[in-house]
Amino acid sequence: MISIRYLRHQVLDIGSLDILPGITSIIGPNGSGKTTLLKICAGITEPDAGTVLVDDLPPRKTEIGWVNEFPDRNILFDTVVDEIASPLRFQRIPCREISDRVDSHLEFMGIMPLRDRGMRELSGGEKILVALAASLIHHPQVLVLDEYDSHLDETRAMEIDHLVRKSGVPYVIRCTQQMESATRGDRLIWLENGRAGYNGSPREVFAALSGTPFYPLSLRCGI
Amino acid sequence: MRVTLNATCITREKWSLSAHGRFTEGIHLVSGDIGSGKTTLALILAGLLQPSAGTVDREHVSSLMVSFQFPEYHVTGSTVMDECTSWGIDPSATVKAANLSGKEDLSPLRLSRGELKRLHLACVMARDYDLLVLDEPFSSLDCREKERYCADISRRTKGITVIFTHEQMIFPRVDFIWEISGGVLHCRGRVPEALAGWEHAPQLVKQLLARGKIPHNITPADLLEAACRT
Repeated sequence: MISIRYLRHQVLDIGSLDILPGITSIIGPNGSGKTTLLKICAGITEPDAGTVLVDDLPPRKTEIGWVNEFPDRNILFDTVVDEIASPLRFQRIPCREISDRVDSHLEFMGIMPLRDRGMRELSGGEKILVALAASLIHHPQVLVLDEYDSHLDETRAMEIDHLVRKSGVPYVIRCTQQMESATRGDRLIWLENGRAGYNGSPREVFAALSGTPFYPLSLRCGI
Repeated sequence: MRVTLNATCITREKWSLSAHGRFTEGIHLVSGDIGSGKTTLALILAGLLQPSAGTVDREHVSSLMVSFQFPEYHVTGSTVMDECTSWGIDPSATVKAANLSGKEDLSPLRLSRGELKRLHLACVMARDYDLLVLDEPFSSLDCREKERYCADISRRTKGITVIFTHEQMIFPRVDFIWEISGGVLHCRGRVPEALAGWEHAPQLVKQLLARGKIPHNITPADLLEAACRT
């Protein structure tokens, strides 16, 4: 379990919040603290006050995978193959093993045609796919996805949901502005003004959001 | 006023995009898979990229604006107010339009992603342009802001607006649907007739069509009306 206690940082003010294994979506208005919370859970940011523990360990002592909406900010290498290999190279894994793992991972992700492309030549959506591949290749304990789906078409987003689930990462925490996507997760957290307003199954949380623009249009239409 | 793509083609190694067609006054929605060339086409329409073959004719287009998907690349001001001023527009009105009152003195890069997108879009929408090209304008916006911004776009009654997006639920009123498929830009026609042939149509639209409920347009209100129609 990821336990968050007495967390205060910038807009965030969360007394107690538990995130169970599975796919947890975080939704809320712009500026509600979603990205800040994700950065803290990923260990990118240390909170001003409070604790976040992943199975009793701080995030910085846990393997984390991170994908954000602006993958350009994370790109380190020139080619797709080097970018995806980078987490393994940083772990000083033997080159032959890295090569094998990268190729099988490219197959798993369905992006083998991108293997030798330059990172700067990729479309925004392709960069997200490569960033996701790089984040998954070292089998993280926690995968953090910060609005990664805003540049994906619905079909590809659903394929990636399937891949993420199939990857077996114990904790997936993602924020999204696609409410239909949020219905597909295991748990849903509604964040507003830095506080976790609702926390439960997508059905429970969306029931509480009925009548707001955040209530999925498909549910509004009864489909 | 129109933009005509005459046998336009762009080629990069094994990848190519062919586009032939005419964008007339109204709101055009262009969809396509990841990597299909939406941003490339946006650049060509805006005159920022020369096609490998063919020509782009912009007739009676005297003003043009293009908005790209990553707003941080547009930022030039050190504060929100400076950023608005740099666009040559009324900063106070723009800050208000972006719902950013109280954040005037913050660096634009200190805003949340959605707030920065709102600021950028408010700057873009502060003026009327003959040709407005919007690449993924809805990314990062929360649902409330998407609906608000879509309403703003829907009110554009003059000029050519071309929207490239992966958005699946919240759209403005759209006059024409285009999509890139198999390396070719296809015009599916005028809405609502175009909806039946729209390969990249959102699941909700496809489900409504399958039930024989043809929405008048693709705004949330139109989809809801079609769903509730007896």
